[in-house]
Parts: sequence; C-alpha cells; structure tokens
Amino acid sequence: MTGTSFIGLYAFQWIALLTAGLTSLLLADALAGHYRSGFTFRVQYAPFISGGLLIIAAVAAAVAPNVAWLNTALRGASWLAVASGLVGFGFHHYYGIVKKPGGYKWLLHYLMYGAPQLAPLALAIVGVLAVVAARGLAGEVSFAGLNMRAALLALVAVALAGAVLQATILHYRGAFNNPAMYAPLTAPLLAVVASIWMVVAPNSLILFALTILLWLTFLLGFIGLGMHLRGFERQMGGLYVSLFNLLEGPPAWAPALFAGFATVGLVTVRLL
Amino acid sequence: MKRPTERGGTVKSLRQAIGLIKMGAPMHPIFVHFTIALTSASLVFDALGFFFNKRSLTAAGGWTLVGAALMTLATLSTGLTSATRAPVEEGEARSFLRAHMALGFIFYGLLVAITFWRMSLWQSGQSVSWVYLAALAVVSLVMTVQGYLGGELVYRYGLEVEQAYRELPEHDAGSPPPQLVSSKATPPPARTKKHGEAA
Repeated sequence: MTGTSFIGLYAFQWIALLTAGLTSLLLADALAGHYRSGFTFRVQYAPFISGGLLIIAAVAAAVAPNVAWLNTALRGASWLAVASGLVGFGFHHYYGIVKKPGGYKWLLHYLMYGAPQLAPLALAIVGVLAVVAARGLAGEVSFAGLNMRAALLALVAVALAGAVLQATILHYRGAFNNPAMYAPLTAPLLAVVASIWMVVAPNSLILFALTILLWLTFLLGFIGLGMHLRGFERQMGGLYVSLFNLLEGPPAWAPALFAGFATVGLVTVRLL
Repeated sequence: MKRPTERGGTVKSLRQAIGLIKMGAPMHPIFVHFTIALTSASLVFDALGFFFNKRSLTAAGGWTLVGAALMTLATLSTGLTSATRAPVEEGEARSFLRAHMALGFIFYGLLVAITFWRMSLWQSGQSVSWVYLAALAVVSLVMTVQGYLGGELVYRYGLEVEQAYRELPEHDAGSPPPQLVSSKATPPPARTKKHGEAA
C-alpha cells in the first residue's frame, strides 16, 4: 500500500472513505434542492443512483483494498458519478439559465436564484477523486501524467475553487449580511493558491503554509455548518418549522464540503 | 395538560410509575454530560500526565478525547432534534438558541481537529506538549461557553422543561422566602403580579 498509515488506514483508504462522506453531503443537499423543485424531471433522481453506488463502492473498497473486483466496481461507480455530474451540470445550465425567461440576459439573477450551477460538478470532482483513490489502492503511482500527490492536490485546488465560487455567488445573494459570510474568501482561497503552488513548485515552506491553510479551511467548514444552522433559526419559526426552512434556507451541508476537501488535502500532505 | 399524578396524587405503585414514562423525552441534556465530562477529563488526565510524567494518565487522556469526539455526534444530533421541537418566539431565548446552535458545530470542529492531533501524537509515539494542552484548554473553554448558553436555555427560559410539577399553594416567584423568625413590625410582602395575569 502506498504512503504511510494513520490509525490503521492508508492514504487511499482514507480518500475512498472521504469520497463516500463527501458524496453523502452532496446527496443530502441535492435531495433538498430536487425535492424543492418537485422532482420535475426523472433525471433528477440520477445523482442518488450514481452517488449511492459510489458511496457503497468507496466504503467497500476502503474496507477491503486488496479485493480486485471491488476496485473495479469503485472505478465503474466513480466514472458513473463523473458522467452524472457532467450531465447534471448541463441540465442545471439549460433548465436553470438558458430556458428561463430572459436567459443569459438575466445571468446573474439565475446564478443566484436558479439551480446551483456548480453543485453537479462537485459530484463529478468527487467521482474523479474516487478514480484516483481506486488507482492508488491498486498500487498505481500516477494519474493524468502527475504523481498521485500532485494529482490529488490539483483536484483539491479545483474542488475548493469551485466551492469558493459557488459560496461567493450565494453569499452575494444573501448580501453578505453577516461578516462570517466572507470566510470562504479567506483561508480556502489561499489554500487553493498554495495547493497549486505545491503542484508546480513544491517546497517545505509552502507545504507548511498549505498545511495550516487546510486546517483553517477544515475549521471554517464547521463554522459554516454552525452559521448555516443559525441561518435556519433566523427564519420565521426556525427549526420548529424544519422542513420548510430546510428547503428555503441556506444549503445545510454545503459548508461541510470545505472541511471534506480540506481533509483530502491534509491526508495527501501528511500520508503521501 | 397535566399528568394524572399532578392532579392531586403522589406515585404510590409501580404501575403508576410506569404510566409516567414518556417516550420521546429530550435526550440532549443526557448526552451533553458525556461531552462535557469526557472533554474536561481528557484535559485533566493529559495535564496530570504531562506534569507528573505518567504515561497511563496521558493514555487515559487520549481515550477520553476519542470518546468525547464520538459521543458528541449523539449530542449534536439530539440537540438538532430538540431544536425542531422548540416553539420559541423571536426574542432573547431565540438569540440564545441561535448562538448555542452555531457554537455547537464550531466546538465540534475544534474537537475533531484536536482529536486528530491527539491521534497523530499517539501514532508517532510522542507525548503531549504545552501547545497541545493550551489548545485543548481553548477547546474546553469554548465548550464551557457552549454549556453556559445551553444552561441558560433550560434554566432561564425553560426550553423543553415541561413544568408539570405541583406548585406549593402559596408559592410566588416574586415574593421573598418566608421569614424564619416572625416579626410583627414587618408587614406581609405584597403579592407581585404573575406574567400574563390580568390587572
């Protein structure tokens, strides 16, 4: 097994488990969003099928990393999640912007109030992470021409950049009514820069800075969870009117994605 | 609606006692004690182990912290369940509730982070350091603030407190306690108006 272990699990086992956790968070928010829109299209069930398969395959492959058919299953489920995410992006773009009254002329409005444009791509990036995890579990040492460490850091940079962008759009919609809403633009954004730097020109100083920034991003994820919960509670009735406010309030689990992607980065820098 | 025993009787039989069991009782106040006890015990064990160089105490500190991180999952989930059952109007209590909910996840993030730190120390065979103890003290401080907010919600605002006990006939929260030595010179205290009572 590649890398060092942490409490009995090696780096790619951790990454497989983290992809399962990240997928669960994504599906929880997708369920709220698709339920709110009434599951108008049958294709809105697709992420739950592909994501569900990915969760099962990732956990199984992490538990039994030496079983070849489980590794193959993880690769299959991962590519299915990637495809599902890309198709979802197309649907969100077409039905969330293009087909809406005004279309691109009302781009900012639909970016804020329409289907979240980058959410399906989060499933795609988690799928790619799972592909890397499957290859790592099988003992392969490179992905897309990069060594595993560089490939994972590049993926973490892309994922965090997407999460920051989506959060910025939605916090702009919320008029940054609380100073904490600027938090995604701080440590996570710097972590993106540091991750890219580590891919291009790795050195010990940047590695130290990246580790600190990833820990801060991890903590910001939990702060975000708490603040989003506070956001529900600020609405009429708070969590006492839980389903309504859960559908109308801020995405409940989205901040945890920051913590999740940061953990993937921390696993990469500490165990690989 | 008050329970049968609150209509005038006391519990006299096992059957009557069983009849008082109510499913769906708030579990959050039970689990918070595990979080508080395990986290603070971890700090105490680690500090004692650090100062007296006792490995058994630092081991206990590590395991209690892992226990705290696991039990706090139950604390968080039962806390959310309690929040969904709390019909609190906008006002002071709701502000306390909002702060308590936000701080809960922040505390958990800190707890998970320090648990990973503790496990990496254990794995590399290192002992705890001053820096680690200071960080754990900060986490415990956040937990104390969080516990204070929760305590206010229950004891000041009565969140999830059923108030199904029988009050003493002459009880009045606004009046001073009865005097132990009678004094004819002191007039009896004026009865203060209860909340919501008509003038």
